[in-house]
Amino acid sequence: MIDFRIDDTPELKAWRAEVRQFLETELPGGMHFDYDFEEDGERWAAYLRFWRKVGEKGWVAATWPTEYYGQGRSAIENYILQEEFSRHAAPTYPIIGQAVAAALLRHGTHEQRLRHLKGIAEVTTLWGEGYTEPQAGSDLASLTTRAHLDGDHWVINGQKTLGTAAHLAQWMFVLARTDPNAKAHSGISAFLVPLDAPGISMTPLHNMADGQQNQTFFDNVRVPVDCLVGTPHQAWSEVWFGRGGEALDRAGPAPVGWVFRIERTLNLIRRFVAENSRGGVPLTEDPVVRMQLAELEMSVEIIRLQIAEAYSNFASRRMRAGSSPIFSGNIHWAYYKELIPRFTQTCMEIVGPAAQIQGGPWAHLEGRIEKAFRASFGNHAGGTPQLKRMTLATRGLGLPR
Amino acid sequence: MAINLNFSEDQEQLRRTARQLFDKHVTPDVVRKFQDSPEEFPKAVWRQMAELGWLAMPFTEAHGGLELGFLDMYPLYLELGRSLAPVPHLESVVLAGGLISALGSEAQKDALIPAIAEGRAIVTPAIIEPDGTYGADGVRLAARQSGSGYALTGVKILVAYAGAADQLLVAARTSGAGESGVSLFLVDPKAAGVSLDRTPNASGLPLYALTLQDAPGELLGPAGEAWPTLNAVMLKGAVLQAAMVAGAGERILEMSVDYANTRVQFGVQIGKHQAVQYLCTDIAIHGHNTGLLALNAAWRIDAGEPFARQAAFAKAAASKAIATMTWAAHEVHAGVGFMLDFDLQLYTLRGKHWEFNLGDHRYSLEQAAAEA
Repeated sequence: MIDFRIDDTPELKAWRAEVRQFLETELPGGMHFDYDFEEDGERWAAYLRFWRKVGEKGWVAATWPTEYYGQGRSAIENYILQEEFSRHAAPTYPIIGQAVAAALLRHGTHEQRLRHLKGIAEVTTLWGEGYTEPQAGSDLASLTTRAHLDGDHWVINGQKTLGTAAHLAQWMFVLARTDPNAKAHSGISAFLVPLDAPGISMTPLHNMADGQQNQTFFDNVRVPVDCLVGTPHQAWSEVWFGRGGEALDRAGPAPVGWVFRIERTLNLIRRFVAENSRGGVPLTEDPVVRMQLAELEMSVEIIRLQIAEAYSNFASRRMRAGSSPIFSGNIHWAYYKELIPRFTQTCMEIVGPAAQIQGGPWAHLEGRIEKAFRASFGNHAGGTPQLKRMTLATRGLGLPR
Repeated sequence: MAINLNFSEDQEQLRRTARQLFDKHVTPDVVRKFQDSPEEFPKAVWRQMAELGWLAMPFTEAHGGLELGFLDMYPLYLELGRSLAPVPHLESVVLAGGLISALGSEAQKDALIPAIAEGRAIVTPAIIEPDGTYGADGVRLAARQSGSGYALTGVKILVAYAGAADQLLVAARTSGAGESGVSLFLVDPKAAGVSLDRTPNASGLPLYALTLQDAPGELLGPAGEAWPTLNAVMLKGAVLQAAMVAGAGERILEMSVDYANTRVQFGVQIGKHQAVQYLCTDIAIHGHNTGLLALNAAWRIDAGEPFARQAAFAKAAASKAIATMTWAAHEVHAGVGFMLDFDLQLYTLRGKHWEFNLGDHRYSLEQAAAEA
């Protein structure tokens, strides 16, 4: 029975009110901060202070089982949580801890969960991403970082790149080739690697939106055998494809908080249009600006509905006709990822020539639209839009590979 | 339960029944046959739709209706779009029926709603004028008081199925400008001063130019106050028009994927080329997003929530989607798709009617902007 209502029970309404109350107290006015587009130390400290308060509420682990520091909440409660965070311009959870937690909850051992989930839940341990390599981006399965068994240790050698904010992390989730004789997808394992282990070094890469990513080098890095997550050599199917909403996991589909970022930009441009005039004409009466803003509004509406569809598929434990996660999930990612740079470009056009000013008295919206424009070229993270199109075409529509 | 985009079992069943009926009786060759046909539309199919209760869906029980909502009609409209069935459901049941239900006197409702619901009468709206202005400003056809009634003078275009209509529902101006002063009139197509001329058009649907010269009109609802209701009913119709586009999109996608998987050039299936994959995924993305927007708007209508903004989004997306999907499908099919004996062109040409019907992309976006 079709229903687009999110909080249709008193319990869910109360939950939304509780989240809202917390945000109004702890984050009045919001915080325009994205961990992948920020290097300023003081702002990072404020950001982590906020997220530790979220951790104290238990909400990082809202959907995790209670035996592992979680609250056992439903996917819909998680949706409400993330929606409220978005509406209050709260920043998203740092880096990839939630993905590591999801992997551990699905495939980790009891000991691994006990050891690592607490730090993720309390935001005392940050996790960096160790997937991408210089020669393995979209074609991640061609990665060459390798690990071999030496007694009761795995020995890792290789190089990872574009590790967002990894220099601030204590641990890294690393994909490495453990079976050199297997085919590309079937010889990869996932490791929990402490970044203070001997043999690890890092050099910074600075992205065009004020964030730091990193090259990480592994030179005979030894980690105990219990640092391997899941079945040896099976990380591709177990971990990687558990990550992006392509598999249904207990925490719900796709990290929607990340997607809600676009609403923050929409709210900025709405404010700009409402408050500004050009040539004596309020922008709200400029026919071109009205069209542009309506297009932006519509695109965000589409994304909201795509997320609702993903939750519906998850919650009802069945797929809509013509809406498998591979089909509708990749429609969502291709649409969203292609949208972001166009979205911010349209915002720049609406703001006009002063849009390029980053700060000071003549900047609009403190230069946030300009920053969102720069950040929009980070849309490749987690797979390029082109990769999502290819996956949609081959696995979603059944076109030849 | 919160957030559920799955049809109910009844809605699924309706979709299956509609698929079967149209697969059997509205094949592409039937669609071709009715292009520019003096028969107007397939009456036998219309009778079956009436027997299945599909013409009675939105009406009250008191008028022989089933009191079903827009979500219940949504699956039917997916199939109307997929099959290209040339039947006046949107015009007679949803638009005219919706307006008569909302504004008509008891006598008017008693006279027309049961007849529409049983398929005994076709009533079709006449809204757009030759300059193509959407919205209240576009309603300029003059109605002046004449004795106890009104006399209407002016021209309407794109009046669908008017050759088979028992009554025309004409938007006219009784006073003022803009939203104030718009009135609706029932006009008997056989009355003096009424002339209908079938207009050659892209899709071959029976679309007429209606010329009125002091033609008698019977007022529907209070004079000068019809616009808000007319606008709301057209927006509701736009949601179903968007559902038709989504349903057609599924078929356009199937055709394109099938062709890309079987056509071999340079020794490989053309669907192996990313350029072709991009075209196919364009079709999937546009069709799917249109369906989501329309479904959400239909739900809002039934739930009693404000729906104008969402309905306008749905139609804006649908207008863009049908143009983009058919374009992309032509790129995939190349020469074959250009031939009349291939079915794609039926969607491309019908698509032009759907694109402009009840608001184009630009007007619909402006409607959404006005609702922000």
